[in-house]
Amino acid sequence: MSATLESPADLDDEEREALETLLKRLGDDEYVLAERYTEWQVKAPTLESDLALANNAQDELGHARLWYDVLEDLGYEEHELVYEREADEWRHSTLVERPFAEGDWADAVLRHYLYDVAEDIRLDALEGSSYAKIADRVGKIRSEEEYHLEHASNWVERLANGDEGAERLQDAVDRLFPHALTLFEPCAPATGAGDASGDEDVEETIVSAGFRDATLEEMREGWLSTVVPFLDDLGLETPASELVHFDEYEFDVTEDVLPDAVGRDGSHTDAWDDLREEFTHTYRELERSEATKIMDKPE
Amino acid sequence: MIWEVFRQEKQGDYHTHCGNVHAPDREMAKQFAAIQHGRRKPTNSLWVVPKEEVGETDADDVAFGGTTDKAYRWATAYNPDVDHAEEVVESEGQQAEAEKQRGDA
Repeated sequence: MSATLESPADLDDEEREALETLLKRLGDDEYVLAERYTEWQVKAPTLESDLALANNAQDELGHARLWYDVLEDLGYEEHELVYEREADEWRHSTLVERPFAEGDWADAVLRHYLYDVAEDIRLDALEGSSYAKIADRVGKIRSEEEYHLEHASNWVERLANGDEGAERLQDAVDRLFPHALTLFEPCAPATGAGDASGDEDVEETIVSAGFRDATLEEMREGWLSTVVPFLDDLGLETPASELVHFDEYEFDVTEDVLPDAVGRDGSHTDAWDDLREEFTHTYRELERSEATKIMDKPE
Repeated sequence: MIWEVFRQEKQGDYHTHCGNVHAPDREMAKQFAAIQHGRRKPTNSLWVVPKEEVGETDADDVAFGGTTDKAYRWATAYNPDVDHAEEVVESEGQQAEAEKQRGDA
């Protein structure tokens, strides 16, 4: 589908809500992941890995800003989105908000890998978006994400090669895999956090309006069919290994596989409150009412 | 392991040494080099070379040139003031530069 929708004026109410929800999925994931990545600055195992992760964090912040900028067309302002939203108004997956255990590089690397495979699949599904601004931004984000994915897979492969690394990676898989599955959970609409009845409708509209051309189930299948064999080859077992038979990656993700909080519906883990408290602290302390911008419009 | 990094700005340019990175293997070295040496300046290509693979010979080992008067190399018999004498002009430039570095001029 070619991009035919230029502005919110081309959308009905339902579509506007779907667009808003989609953009929050995208922007919030990138923003919160970047916040977590920056915790590694000056603490990564080597100077080189430090710089590489800081580079990725900076990229992700830039991408979050690109998505938040599209949200501004719907009447939001950046400072409201980043500094003034209540905790349950955020729609990121719980994968990106989980804290790192002190010095656990395997956690950082695995999370990075699980996320960036999903990101790659998601960008594929957005490339032909009917909403012009979304389609337009995918290209730029893509070129940077390719590096992220390569960086992450390289690290996972190397860590899996040693005994201690493999053990730490397996721990990280056990801990993070359920959270990673929330990447593909439906979002509660912006206005109805916790109201599960609207979730499926919003996701349906995201696809039927052509904002994204794959369903969550399709993207999850694509993600599982990449991630599970990759980790399996490295001797890492996922909770999905039991569910996959004869390379069939389409299966129901039941509630007992998912964590209690899934993020997308506005429910989050305790770690999220702490993180949000921290990155909004200065804004509140200084009684700011706008976000600092170096560039007028993100590019 | 240390990898020396060489950066080429545009196609056809020389790769110029620009620093080094620590990396366990070539693949990671290329990735780290891209961030540290290819992110801020326009870059067409990077080489990464294991430090121990670089052969070095220095002034203690060899008497390098460029230290004596090579006035006989000046193109005195040619008229460089024409279009097709580019190479002559360039060669003269190199000689002039060598003299300057030697402290003769």
